[in-house]
Amino acid sequence: MKKFNYLFLSALFVSSLSLMSCEDTETPEAENEEEVITDVTLTFTPEGGGAAVVGFAEDADGSGPGGLEVANTIALAANTTYELEIDLYNSIEEESISEEVAAEDEEHMFFFGFTEGLFTDPAGDGNIGADARGDALNYLDSDANNQPTGLLTEWTTAASGNGTFRVVLKHQPDIKSENSSSVDGSTDLNISWDITVN
Amino acid sequence: MLKQILLILLLFPFGVSAQNDNCDRVISGTIYNLSTDEPLPFSTVQVQGTSKGVVSDENGKFILKGLCEEEFDLIFSHVGYKKLVHHHDVHHELPTIYMAPNEVTLESVVVEAERTTGDLSTSAVGKLSAKEYERESSRSFGDVVKNISGVTVLQTGQNVVKPVIHGLHSSRILIINNGVQHQYQNWGADHAPEIDPSLYDQIKVIKGASTVRYGAGALGGVLLIDADQPELLQDWNGKVGTDFSTNGRAFNTEAKLEKGYKNFAFTGQASYLKQGDLTAPNYQLTNTGKEELSASLAARYHRKAFDLNLYLSHFEQELGILKASVNGNLEDLANAMESEVPPETKPFSYEINNPRQVISHNMAKLHGTWHGEDQKVELQYAYQQNNRKEYDVRRGTNNEVPSIDLSLTSQTLNLDWKHPEIFNFLGSAGFQSIYRNNRNIFGTNTIQFVPNYTSYEFGAYLIESTELTPSTELEIGGRFDYFYSDIIGRDNSNDLYFNELNYSSFSATAGIKKQIQKGRIFRVNVGNAWRPANVSDFYRSGKHQSVIEYGLWRYVRDSDNNFDDAVLSNEERYVGIEQAFKIVSGYELKNDRFSAELTAYVNYIQNYIYSKPGGIVNTVRGAFPLFIYQQTDALFAGADISSKIQHSKQFSSVIRANYVWAKDITNDDLFVDIPPAHLGYGINYTIPNWAGLSGIELGLQANYYAEQFNAPRVITVKEILAAQEADVNLFAEDDSNFDYLPAPDDYLLMSLNAAADYKNFSFMAKVDNLLNTAYRSYTNRMRYFADETGINLSLSVKYKF
Repeated sequence: MKKFNYLFLSALFVSSLSLMSCEDTETPEAENEEEVITDVTLTFTPEGGGAAVVGFAEDADGSGPGGLEVANTIALAANTTYELEIDLYNSIEEESISEEVAAEDEEHMFFFGFTEGLFTDPAGDGNIGADARGDALNYLDSDANNQPTGLLTEWTTAASGNGTFRVVLKHQPDIKSENSSSVDGSTDLNISWDITVN
Repeated sequence: MLKQILLILLLFPFGVSAQNDNCDRVISGTIYNLSTDEPLPFSTVQVQGTSKGVVSDENGKFILKGLCEEEFDLIFSHVGYKKLVHHHDVHHELPTIYMAPNEVTLESVVVEAERTTGDLSTSAVGKLSAKEYERESSRSFGDVVKNISGVTVLQTGQNVVKPVIHGLHSSRILIINNGVQHQYQNWGADHAPEIDPSLYDQIKVIKGASTVRYGAGALGGVLLIDADQPELLQDWNGKVGTDFSTNGRAFNTEAKLEKGYKNFAFTGQASYLKQGDLTAPNYQLTNTGKEELSASLAARYHRKAFDLNLYLSHFEQELGILKASVNGNLEDLANAMESEVPPETKPFSYEINNPRQVISHNMAKLHGTWHGEDQKVELQYAYQQNNRKEYDVRRGTNNEVPSIDLSLTSQTLNLDWKHPEIFNFLGSAGFQSIYRNNRNIFGTNTIQFVPNYTSYEFGAYLIESTELTPSTELEIGGRFDYFYSDIIGRDNSNDLYFNELNYSSFSATAGIKKQIQKGRIFRVNVGNAWRPANVSDFYRSGKHQSVIEYGLWRYVRDSDNNFDDAVLSNEERYVGIEQAFKIVSGYELKNDRFSAELTAYVNYIQNYIYSKPGGIVNTVRGAFPLFIYQQTDALFAGADISSKIQHSKQFSSVIRANYVWAKDITNDDLFVDIPPAHLGYGINYTIPNWAGLSGIELGLQANYYAEQFNAPRVITVKEILAAQEADVNLFAEDDSNFDYLPAPDDYLLMSLNAAADYKNFSFMAKVDNLLNTAYRSYTNRMRYFADETGINLSLSVKYKF
């Protein structure tokens, strides 16, 4: 009996040692950092031709500790109507995020905030804020539910002025509606540019 | 070399056993009442098939002498209690028998291994009685353990509940799951252990620092959760049960089946739970559903002086996290905190959406025990596989893809030899090794939050105890551990980084247990414990929920307190091991009507690793707070009290209190998430029979939780945003800890419970948060966004056969 136990236990021990066959550390594969927007370009194209005005901001390391750099002041001409197109780009993975937003326009919405008096149309200071959803803004695009998206907008400048121009992109899955505002959902983009109208 | 040492260790005890053919074998033990944990005098103990038998004395103790056989079946009986047959052989531990009164549906049980699972007898130990355990077992692991004095919880909503011992949690406590160190992603505050209490029978906490037997790293203590070993010679028996809770409209079903033959026994168990959105007193908590499936199989093969146990378990869970708690930038966070009703609150649903976690844990264990004359050898091998997927609210197809997807494979080997008495010393020596392989599963479409690694851990220990005087016991123990890990990860530019780490150190413990007089015991235990920073402490990096975190080696800081990403090594930034020195002292008082246990402790921790605010990062998404990992020296001190008063045969009272005080003594600062003071009182009314029902119990509990006054300063999100607007770095001058909101107010919770048995059925009803109080708990990370759950009525019925 004793012998049996001894053999059995030894066998168990040896087999468990051999079971501890251990693999080495696997090298993690490079993931596509698809979440990140690194480059934001605002292109203001004047109605009836002329040179476009560009606003640019860059955060090269995405969610890394390196900060966001807003490259320039947006300088618009007085009393001019512009079409604004927003382009979002992930330079790490070299892919367009604005295309993704367009494909999922029923979950996304751009909101704009600006210093009052810079524009004659829209008037006011934009539609950022819990109660400001219905405030004046000229969206040129809309989703399948007839709600605006904001990749394309129209702006008519005043005679002169300076201040800030802020763009907020909200991700609002199952939230976006005629009542949803800029405080709903989570923020994909929130950048302010300095702006002049002359 | 290692294998040779192991072999010597293994061979040694087998040389010293002797044959014994005389009729001079002795077996002794103690018999208790299962319901009350009181000794049960005048029970009959008989050897089956013989005329040999004795009656237990007034302390429940019995001694059977003049036995010839090495193995026999013992029959325990007592009028009014359930008869029990137990197969025993003389080499096994002295049995402790718990006799169940006829009027309760619990069965009588024998516990043989109690002396060995309790580890050090000079350490303070807390546990739940079989009855308390049964009452709580359909809840989560964390909710069960918080009923033990000295244990609190750290929560992320209602579904992620982590145990906290004396203010410490995560990788600073060990969880021993059926004898095996539970391996999981223990680093995250939102990672709860994958354990379903309904598959287990008892739980214990060891509050000492140096729980030498179970492993290094137990700076706070050890939680032991065990299922009873399958009993031999049992007819088919088992139970089925179901319960329903109104809050969350949750239902839970469980089943258990057991059978014991002469040499073989097994227990199979399974449990399933589905819970919908929970409800706070004033609103629905959207996306707080949960679905859980777990099963286990325990099998035991018995030969003379030898037992082989196989244990298999499976656990899978999907849980929702309150939708309002996951935010984009600081403005979103401010909006979520300010809303009276959490944003995105929707009507009740069983649906679980993002953010959510999908978790599984599998374990296979083989455990052999050889019982010699006055000695015992145990060998155990276990394999564990843990998968964790965490889904965030993301854009497009990425919403279907987890942002964290980790697979942790681990293997553990334990050898323990409990030696015969040598120079009045009793004790055990052992060896332990753990291998872990942590892999990120490809396809998350985001850079890995923690790196891949493999690690090896080897430990050897010795624990000895001796009687200095008949009433004074001295214990000493020591342990040596060696850690090795090999790490491969990717930095923020997707470039690979590599590192290898080696650590080794000693831990030691010493304690005294003194029986001052009958029913009065004093204990004191001093010990140290250590752990190296774990891989995530070093390397975590990136956005996790509403904060950006940087591990100990993942940032550099310039003279203006600005941060940049980096991957450092020990040469560039030295990170010392965490080292705890803990003194725990306990006083236990027990007489017929009154029992009390007081535990007091001081725990000094060198190089304590924690995260502190570093500043604000501006990203395309807006501003985020940045937290960096650092080390400091910390002091934890506190006391736990639990007491029971038997007013009369029917009425009894239970009192419990916990207090923890903690401080960062290097920076003269305070920590977040330290549990507030708690005082609980419960009154119970018990009658054996009424209107055909038996084992009737009614209880009313009141639990008071104080406000945490010992909390760091408050900087609101609005203040941070204003400073950001004005281009002021709030943390340049003063980077002491802060919290977004002040600690919640104190609150009182009432609960009610009732239980009764009818034939083979047992019924239970419980009302939690009886007054539907709206409150927030300081140690729940959801306190920024929503109230805790409101009133809940749960009903349960179990059938035993």
